[in-house]
Amino acid sequence: MARIAWGAYSGIIVLFMLTPLVLVVLFSFTDNALTNFPINAFSLHWYRILDANPEFWKAFENSLKVSLGVTLISTVIGTMAAMVLARWRERLANAALLALAAPVTLPALVIGIALLVFFNKVGVPLSLATVIAGHLVITQPFVILIVYARMVNFDYAAVDSARDLGASPWRAFWTVTFPIVSSTVIGAALIALAISLDDFIITFFTIGGGNTLPTFVWGKVRTYLDPSINAIGTILITLTVGSTAIALWISRYRG
Amino acid sequence: MIGPSGAVFLLLFVAPFAFLFVVSFWRKKMFVLEPDFTLVNYSETLADYGWPLAFTLMIAFAIAVLTTVLAFLFAYAIRFHAGRYANALLFVTLITLFGGYLVKIYAWKTILGTEGILNSALLTLGIVDQPLTVFIYNPGAVVVTLTHFLLPLAVLPVFASLRGVREAGLEAARDLGAGATRVFRDIVVPQCLPGIMAAFTFSFLIAAGDYVTPRYVGGPYTSMIGDFIEGQFSLRFDWPAGAAMSFTILGAGLAIIALVRWALGALRPR
Repeated sequence: MARIAWGAYSGIIVLFMLTPLVLVVLFSFTDNALTNFPINAFSLHWYRILDANPEFWKAFENSLKVSLGVTLISTVIGTMAAMVLARWRERLANAALLALAAPVTLPALVIGIALLVFFNKVGVPLSLATVIAGHLVITQPFVILIVYARMVNFDYAAVDSARDLGASPWRAFWTVTFPIVSSTVIGAALIALAISLDDFIITFFTIGGGNTLPTFVWGKVRTYLDPSINAIGTILITLTVGSTAIALWISRYRG
Repeated sequence: MIGPSGAVFLLLFVAPFAFLFVVSFWRKKMFVLEPDFTLVNYSETLADYGWPLAFTLMIAFAIAVLTTVLAFLFAYAIRFHAGRYANALLFVTLITLFGGYLVKIYAWKTILGTEGILNSALLTLGIVDQPLTVFIYNPGAVVVTLTHFLLPLAVLPVFASLRGVREAGLEAARDLGAGATRVFRDIVVPQCLPGIMAAFTFSFLIAAGDYVTPRYVGGPYTSMIGDFIEGQFSLRFDWPAGAAMSFTILGAGLAIIALVRWALGALRPR
């Protein structure tokens, strides 16, 4: 009896989490003028409409520029920080991690407006570069936490041997440390990619002009319910869910 | 080596946040910020936005409690009852974690709308003969949408802390005659209190600071403070007022979180 109840509850929660996303994907492949039943016919109608829209392609390009920049920078600096923190005393490291993770617990709205006011004060014009800077604040904590969790259990014996045999710290890192932790680092990078691709609020306050995919969606939802949003939504879901799934797969099967 | 990360943290988080706090004591004079030290922005926030503040705290509290309870039960099911399905359930939680903040809100708008998926399904099945308008543009729609968005975020910390709860301890308590309720209240809950608090804190602060959800699905009677804060930046350009409103809701939110932490702490077995 209890077994059935727990099973039913888990099933309902899974349906609750997945159904909205599944419906977006389902309706993106119809030619319905409204997102509702009955479904007329399956087609690529809304994707063709998107494809013909230069604003969509511009937003897509901006999204790629921003998220690739964010992924690269946050992975490099986050990994560096995590490796240092892993060698600190545990209490000190935990305090530092708690502080570094603070931006993630705050509403993105507050981070967005703080950055807007600050960039304005120091005279930095808003652009894709300021969007990248803003995203680093929320992606870096994830990279640091993920890589730290791996590095804190890392066995330094092999690295020490390499150093004793005359390898430079640089060479020891690339030939010994990195191959061992690379799956974790790639996993962390893909999580950073997903967060950056998906971010709307910080982007909205730091972009100045132009669009990324989420701000492009915002402009459309605000005016009326344009079913081409289902198609953009499907692209966003594919990119974010895809990179998260790959991140999990990499860390599970080789981590 | 920690330098670049430290620089991002200090320059792009601590400095802007500290400066926003300073600006909350300034004045706006003819579209120019004027350094000052006045509490007038805060007193105006309380006088002009008292109701949105109170409403935001109430709805965010309701959302956070609902999300934390649903997340706890789901994490509990994964930890103790799911068996070979545990990994699949965890996988679903993780992949929905980062997928589409705006897309999720848009999806709920199309599901709950008058011409939406739910209504069209009810009409097609002949359950109702005209569309129901009760699904959307009310606080309930905001609760559903934000709970959906926050649930994966809340499941993970609770699950992480449930991992530390050993079956042996639960068995021992049962053998010593503790009932299911007693085991749950005196052993399970106290041991995963940090995870429960993390889930509640995330959910509560993020819900309290959201403005996109109330604007899309909230309707005219859902006045949340985030909506007004955003307005101070995109419409009225009164940054000091927006800053003061932000710190007011953050301060009130942190006070409530501290209160909840204290209340839950009282549950610990004596």
